[in-house]
Amino acid sequence: MPLLGLAAALGVAGVAVLRFAWSLPRRSVPWNAAGWGLLLAAAIGAALAEGAWGVSVASLLAMGAATIALAEAGARAPRGRAAASNRRVGMLPEAGEPRQIGRRIGTFALVILAGSAVSVGLATAMRGLGGLLGWHAANANALALFTVPVAWAVLCTVLLMQTRRRSQFLTLGLCSLPLVPVLLTGALQ
Amino acid sequence: MTLAPHPATVKRALSAHAAIGLLAGALLYIVCLSGTLLVFYEEWQRFEQATPPQMTAIDPDAVQRGMEALLATERGKPPTTHFYVDMPLAELPTTRVITDTQSMHLDAQGRLVGPEQIEWANFLYGLHYTLNIPVAQGLVGITLVGLLGVLMIALALSGLIAHPKIFRDAFRLRTRHRGGVALSDWHNRLSVWTLPFSLAIAVTGAVIGLSTVTAAALAERYYGGDVEALYATMFGEEGEPDPAPAQLPDVATALRYMAANHPDVRLTYVTVHEPGTAGQHVQIVAEHPRRLIFGEYYLFDSAGRFEGTAGLADGALGQQAAASNYDLHFGNYGGLPVKIAYALLGLALTAVCATGTFIWLGKRRRRGFDEPRLRAAWHAVVWGAPAALAVTLVVRLTAGNGAPFAALFWGLLALAVAATVLARGRPQSAQELLPAP
Repeated sequence: MPLLGLAAALGVAGVAVLRFAWSLPRRSVPWNAAGWGLLLAAAIGAALAEGAWGVSVASLLAMGAATIALAEAGARAPRGRAAASNRRVGMLPEAGEPRQIGRRIGTFALVILAGSAVSVGLATAMRGLGGLLGWHAANANALALFTVPVAWAVLCTVLLMQTRRRSQFLTLGLCSLPLVPVLLTGALQ
Repeated sequence: MTLAPHPATVKRALSAHAAIGLLAGALLYIVCLSGTLLVFYEEWQRFEQATPPQMTAIDPDAVQRGMEALLATERGKPPTTHFYVDMPLAELPTTRVITDTQSMHLDAQGRLVGPEQIEWANFLYGLHYTLNIPVAQGLVGITLVGLLGVLMIALALSGLIAHPKIFRDAFRLRTRHRGGVALSDWHNRLSVWTLPFSLAIAVTGAVIGLSTVTAAALAERYYGGDVEALYATMFGEEGEPDPAPAQLPDVATALRYMAANHPDVRLTYVTVHEPGTAGQHVQIVAEHPRRLIFGEYYLFDSAGRFEGTAGLADGALGQQAAASNYDLHFGNYGGLPVKIAYALLGLALTAVCATGTFIWLGKRRRRGFDEPRLRAAWHAVVWGAPAALAVTLVVRLTAGNGAPFAALFWGLLALAVAATVLARGRPQSAQELLPAP
């Protein structure tokens, strides 16, 4: 427990150093590195002390410290009249623009339906790779279960950032490649 | 050299962020809101039913008597496939015995003292887990919630790319600026400082939500369609069923073994698989201190003889990771302080969901496109959902355990949205909204 306490203190110190570093008029590599370094040291120390549980507890304390610092910044914020952003994000048509309903449905189908299918395919391939490399079945299966949401979220982000349909199909196609040997040969049992 | 993304990338990421946020929209908000409240699931149960006998420990023989008494009430009915004892804990100091069809409280002597009445807490649980969608035994609902977890991860990724200065500005909170600046600052600051929490609960929630579908696909390919065989690699195997009648198992001996040999763990659940059959076996779940795993399975035969553990605490890394998913998601690993931290962080995340759509509506309004009905609908969701939950709780306290909480919640929310939308007038034209020259 003393090591966990030290790790938690390092995490809080890391937040404080970053608070200072980001208040400087110019970017300071040494101070930034010191802040992130302290947070990294906190994570490593907490892991050494109490494993994943320690990392979770130390993270909560660091987030708590950041919240307090943020509350202090909010309380001290002066009145101002800065202009708010009105950047267009293109979710709805503006005056005179076509609704493009078909294109929107197509994008939804690619991101949600095809995205889920490709993600499950990647998980299946990951499970097969684990089997091929002789992993414990629990490790391969757990990794496959975690692969789906992470892969799907990355795919979702990438596909929605691509403006051309061809690029989206290419992304989905490339991400489907690892599944091919699993489906065709059955070699990766 | 700079790591800052190209402005075009930033613009596309912002579009992606908005698209995902609007797609997930109200459902993600409701899942975050209900999850925040569900952190106190045990406490809600105590609130709902304060009268059962309170205890922080129970004699093993009393548990045995309770099991026999409850199963005696089911003679002549279709046999239960599982029997559970929900052991008394500091946060929920009652003992409950549960079959497939009923749940009863025990007193300290193991006598049945009345049914469990926690339907509001269960409604809240169902709202967070499945959005109360009963189709296919909740499979559709839980998969949809899993998808929302995926979208939450994608929102975090796209939000980071769309805001290159999000870390640099992490302590910049212009609370006294008007015209949308403060709202954006709250959204961005809360997002960045809850990021580790958000990612942890989004990933774990998505894994829980999507595991049924994923496991079915994996089992089809690698286990001949046997999903139980896949889960057995992580959580241990269930014994071979044998329907021949047998005496009920000796749960008391198993509990005494745990007290004598593992005094440092906290017993949370006793499960009897296929009780009253020759294939029955006993599983005791015990929490290990300062671990993220929900517990270790201690396995016993029907005579209460210890047979081994499933390996959740010290087995393969995949077993430990799978077993850690639940407590990391629900914040059940550090007592009340961690629960309070989870509730506050959950509240922040709920606020991030709410403010995201308001920011988008504000940007459109500033560009001359007002959507009063859309804004009214979003107000109705943001304020109507907690209000509807509060009404269901009042109904629970006044009308009792049997009220249709899910229908009431969703009905009230739909009514609030419809009423506010209808109360709004026509959208203002761009001409009216733009400032005078």
